[in-house]
Amino acid sequence: MLTCAEELLLLAHDEKSGQFANLQDLLMNTALAGAVLMDLALLDRVDTDVSSLVVLDRKPTGEKLLDFALNSIATLPAKTTTIDALDVLRKQGNEIERLAIAQLIGRGILKEEEGRFLWVFESHRYPLIDGKELQEVKRRIASLLLSDEIPDPRDIVIIALAQSCGLLRRVFSDSELRSMQKRIDQIAKMDLIGQAMTDMMIELNAALTKLLPYG
Amino acid sequence: MDITEQKAEGATVLQFSGRLDGTNSAAADTKLADAVSRSPTLVLDLTALDYISSAGLRVLLKAAKQAQTAKQKLLLAGLQPSVKQVFEISGFSTLFATFPNRDAALASLK
Repeated sequence: MLTCAEELLLLAHDEKSGQFANLQDLLMNTALAGAVLMDLALLDRVDTDVSSLVVLDRKPTGEKLLDFALNSIATLPAKTTTIDALDVLRKQGNEIERLAIAQLIGRGILKEEEGRFLWVFESHRYPLIDGKELQEVKRRIASLLLSDEIPDPRDIVIIALAQSCGLLRRVFSDSELRSMQKRIDQIAKMDLIGQAMTDMMIELNAALTKLLPYG
Repeated sequence: MDITEQKAEGATVLQFSGRLDGTNSAAADTKLADAVSRSPTLVLDLTALDYISSAGLRVLLKAAKQAQTAKQKLLLAGLQPSVKQVFEISGFSTLFATFPNRDAALASLK
């Protein structure tokens, strides 16, 4: 089974260019931090409530990406806050992305192609091998949002993640999104890590806007 | 955390007490999945449940999904203020039929 971070990257993948959606690094890193934290929660390595996060078990998960995340938050006190854990992981966003891409390549979902940009700069493309995993993620999201079905915990996570960084636009048209907004909000708020991540993104966005001239 | 099972008014009642969190969610998950599989109507009496974490919410979510798939009834009763607050923040209150206490939940079945 793919990790939530891998599913998030797949949703951000642009099939034409073989690259990932051009999201601001800060926001993508926050979403990836949320994704790995949610993965650790689904594996009962961490638990959260409305104000705190507890590391329950430091035993390796067997996934390089998630063990990296688990080690990264090991420096925090055993009982900390979700925001503090997200902050630690957000700063490791580039490495989390690299490891998630490596896992997708290792699973035979992406392949890596090297090339040159302007004949000088090294560039990497990651074309999908057959795209069926991406179609499966999109199918799960659509089937849940278009029904009254009770979501399972993994589906809540992917909807919270995709909603937080605008990736649902890659699955649905603007008018479809408008008609499903109530259902999206209902599902996305069911994950407490997702709520903390969204709050953090709103703050980061506000800070970024202030930095922009005339923002 | 402790879960005890009783029968009342043709329903199965699971009474939770203590804290439902990541330290006991696996055991609660097993117990609840078993109860849902053999009870057309299940009442979860949460009057003595003091605390619920994300892991605990996932246990209830899975049970609700299992009950929905099997077209069975799953009712929640006696949510304490701290648990109710988590339900409201996470929107879980929209997923379940909730009642102030066990008697009210059982009366709704008549």
